[in-house]
Amino acid sequence: MPRQLLAHYPQTDTRYDELLSGPWALRPHWRSLFDTLVRARPEQMQERLSSMRRQIRENGVTYNVYADPRGVERPWELDALPLIIPPDEWEQISGAIAQRAELLNRILLDVYGPQQMLEEGLLPPALIYGHSGFLRPCHGMAVPGNIHLHLYAADLARSPDGRWWVLNDRTQAPSGAGYSLENRLVISRIFSEQFRDLRVEHLASFFATLRDTLAQHAPQSDGPPLIVLLTPGPYNETYFEHAYLARYLGFPLVEGSDLMVRDGCVWLKNLSGLRRVHVILRRLDDDFCDPLELDGESAIGVPGLVEAARQGNVLIANSLGSNLLESGALLGFLPRLCRRLLGEELAMPSLATWWCGEEAALEDAIEKLDKLVIKPAFPQLRIQSVFGQDLDRRERAALIARMRARPHHYVAQELVQLSQAPVWDTQHPRRLAARAVGLRVFACASPDGYVVMPGGLTRVASERDARVIAMQRGGSSKDTWVLTHGTVNTFSLLRRSVGPSELVRAGTKLSSRVVENLFWFGRYCERSDNTARLLRALIAQHIEHGDIADHALTRLCQQKGILPKDLDDASIGDLEAALRAAALDAAQPGSLASGLHQLSNVAFSLRERLSIDNWRIISRLADDLNDVPTELGEVLERLDRSVLAMMTLSGFALDGMTRDQGWRFLSVGRRIERLQFMSRVLREALADGGDTPDWLLELADSTITYRSRYMTRPQWLPVIDLLVADETNPRSIAYQALGLTDYLARLAAHFGTIESAALSDAVADMLALRADADFRAGSPRLLAVLEALGTAAYTLSEQLGRRFFSHAATPWPGSSS
Amino acid sequence: MKRLRYNVLHETRYAYARPVSLSRQMLHLTPRQTPRQITLEHAVDIDPVPAERRARRDYFGNLVDSFTVSAAHDELVVVADSTVEVTGREAADSPASPSWEHVRDRLHQVGPAPLLEPCQFLYASPHIEPLAVLGRYARLDFHRGRPLFEAASALMQRIHRDFEFDPEATTVSTPLETLLKERRGVCQDFAHFMIGCLRALGLPARYVSGYLLTLPPPGKPRLIGADASHAWVSVFCPGTGWIDFDPTNCVQPDDQHITVGWGRDFSDVTPMRGVILGGGEHTIEVCVTVTPEAPADRSPIAGALEPD
Repeated sequence: MPRQLLAHYPQTDTRYDELLSGPWALRPHWRSLFDTLVRARPEQMQERLSSMRRQIRENGVTYNVYADPRGVERPWELDALPLIIPPDEWEQISGAIAQRAELLNRILLDVYGPQQMLEEGLLPPALIYGHSGFLRPCHGMAVPGNIHLHLYAADLARSPDGRWWVLNDRTQAPSGAGYSLENRLVISRIFSEQFRDLRVEHLASFFATLRDTLAQHAPQSDGPPLIVLLTPGPYNETYFEHAYLARYLGFPLVEGSDLMVRDGCVWLKNLSGLRRVHVILRRLDDDFCDPLELDGESAIGVPGLVEAARQGNVLIANSLGSNLLESGALLGFLPRLCRRLLGEELAMPSLATWWCGEEAALEDAIEKLDKLVIKPAFPQLRIQSVFGQDLDRRERAALIARMRARPHHYVAQELVQLSQAPVWDTQHPRRLAARAVGLRVFACASPDGYVVMPGGLTRVASERDARVIAMQRGGSSKDTWVLTHGTVNTFSLLRRSVGPSELVRAGTKLSSRVVENLFWFGRYCERSDNTARLLRALIAQHIEHGDIADHALTRLCQQKGILPKDLDDASIGDLEAALRAAALDAAQPGSLASGLHQLSNVAFSLRERLSIDNWRIISRLADDLNDVPTELGEVLERLDRSVLAMMTLSGFALDGMTRDQGWRFLSVGRRIERLQFMSRVLREALADGGDTPDWLLELADSTITYRSRYMTRPQWLPVIDLLVADETNPRSIAYQALGLTDYLARLAAHFGTIESAALSDAVADMLALRADADFRAGSPRLLAVLEALGTAAYTLSEQLGRRFFSHAATPWPGSSS
Repeated sequence: MKRLRYNVLHETRYAYARPVSLSRQMLHLTPRQTPRQITLEHAVDIDPVPAERRARRDYFGNLVDSFTVSAAHDELVVVADSTVEVTGREAADSPASPSWEHVRDRLHQVGPAPLLEPCQFLYASPHIEPLAVLGRYARLDFHRGRPLFEAASALMQRIHRDFEFDPEATTVSTPLETLLKERRGVCQDFAHFMIGCLRALGLPARYVSGYLLTLPPPGKPRLIGADASHAWVSVFCPGTGWIDFDPTNCVQPDDQHITVGWGRDFSDVTPMRGVILGGGEHTIEVCVTVTPEAPADRSPIAGALEPD
């Protein structure tokens, strides 16, 4: 056989090899794919790899490593080669997983019900009553169809003798099914012929079953039930998957603040009002779901959710409290429970695991520490897993001390030698390397018992440590190909073609939270632009004249909170420091940098709705302001770049977004901000009394227009006409005010009248201004109109907030003694 | 046997700086029935009037009232008015009990017929971590082979001696380790501490929430509002059941302690716990008045207390 591919592939006899059954002996189910690799020209393989990377980038597949709004998104790591599992072996795995899901569901029914297994001594009370995941408020709650676990996942590993073992159970909100799907889309494209010829099982019908199961057990409703996917938000490590699954399954993606409980039912808040929610597929941990009855500190839950579920008005999948079974401490009791509850033997063993909360187990674990991995007993505990063999004497003593102080916090698990599978060595075009792998498999409830997804997420250990598989620690993933002897079910949830009746146009079903964020995105964009322009004009002034202490621009900056109030006696050095800070110091409220930080936070929570280009601009901008230059000239350059970036962003909004209600709110936000700004700027410039200042047209980005119209230096009459009255100038007062009036009329057509008397009165006065009498510096009518418009903008913002966003406020908990 | 009748008025008043648009609250304010206590009358008045209200029993059998106020308000007043009849203890202060190790081993016995009810109270809970240091503190009184109740009584006395009552020293979230160092706190802290000690030894102990009649000094009238919400400890022994200990006052609760409910710690029986929208800054005023009542010719209306 062609040995070049395997020249650097480690032959092993200490672990199971997925590819080889002995030296140079290929396992038969790999033959076909291996031949393809052997035959492939290096360019062909290169083309496959770049196609894979391109798809990942374009689909925006990411995995968040840290909860940091910038630079957190790491592209999803995927290896080009799938893990292949032959039909007969898969039959065993899937049978064992279906049995295990059934068993765990039965245990939950008992623990949250009669607790017969505790009475009979098959389950030690310590593991339930001592488990912080046992949610007492959920005891005695009926679950529709007797299903606690709608979606279940297990982490499997293969020992050197070829047997599969269960390492962990994922029972509350298993992640990875969406990534499996994404991996499949990518890999089946780069190996499309092999995928077809090998008869690889498809994944779609599994997801259809999940959707049907949820709908089937939903509480009674007139129409089809509304199923939502509840995410903790964009900071969560698997947020991409939440958004991806929500789209794939056709469920709205919601956060806790999108939902509310009223009359014992759960409602989705959107612009048009409330929609009853029947099913919540959650990716939020148990404790966080309801600050009223569960963890009182949770700010991302839905107050009253437990009570809504208790009354049977909402189906929560998986049921609240199902986290209980993720404790490794339970593993040892499963064989007996399986015999008792199902009357059969447990088909796949769990890796031996002991709870240190029992004294004998603690002492045993301490004695055999070198051969064990010490893990948190309950997933809520933020404890890193530790390999006993990695510790030096001091670390070992420290760990033992921690275990003795809180034995109930730890479990000890046997080490398993993970199997190895081939991965494509991206550095060398014709080489296979080997990495340790584990397999996460998924099951979902169906009317005929549990159904196992034919495939799964193969997780690959990093090169550094073959014992640990964790995406957080630099691991990678693979597609999983389950082969079949039969015909492949080619059912698909991805529509190949869309009929005319299925066309979707922008609707009014945006959630209030998204709309509020869009509104503020508009405002912050505009505000940052204004701040950058003000500072640019001021610094230019300073460089030119050296003195800005008693300048209208300085007063403007002070009113806007961009510069500190007391600059009268400031030395040149202090002044320059203040200017630099106003531009670049993110810790100073009102600075450009802090404004961009707010913008970037809002943009982050809108990731699903903003294109990746928007995002790129904002993060580059924030980075640009990060390191601080000393020269004011350099600061000026950065301000130029900011102004440019803001123009690009507004171009995206103008050119790249559909005109739905969300866009309308973004535009309203932008215009409110600009109206307030221009009203303030003009009043300040007019108050100076003297000639038209040079900087005024600059701030309003209207210099070119002015010059093309008039050959003179700026004079009040034409400047006021251009900046106040000219409806065609996108920076003018009239343009903002009339635009707002128009948007409000359009919103009113959908949502009913919006109170805006202050604005319409001010607009009427504005239209009544006369060029001959009022377009001059001393006109009291002009000043009054400007002030009224500024106030109207403020009032309107408040009114929109109360009308559309007030229910998006975050609740806070409290208690009394 | 002595039977005493009390009226308990527990008022909680929240004042908010800005209007609250939505308020959801859960109340543990209904005295529960015990072999020595009957609730004769009970009502909770809420202002503003809630839009929704429900009563149920929680996991530990305590009565919970939950309600939602959905009208904007800047003040929330909850007044629980209960009349209870308490019967004095029959048994001696420390009934005969087996050694504490015997009790511990019985509760940790693996296999069929576990004592599930007391097992609920053996482990860590949100406010109580049974740290090994607490076990060491308790071991000074839990000598080898000492009868459980005698040892528990000694522990209560030592906590009373070692700790000083100081309402300023702690908050709800002060950890037991800090308490052990500072040795100051309020009844809730002392109860949590003693429970932590007992659980660290592997013994079941629960947190009892209730009221205490503070006796007026001789010749002076009772001070209205001088009484407060109180907390103490209950220890379990197979065969005997639960016996109460009050480390704050160094007594075994008798006919002057009124039980509202019990749980693993304060978090299970918080008198009032909730989530609000809006409100801004707030002040809270809690006032408990326990007045002895002349026994009248009234029969218990226990049936009316069942949640619907």
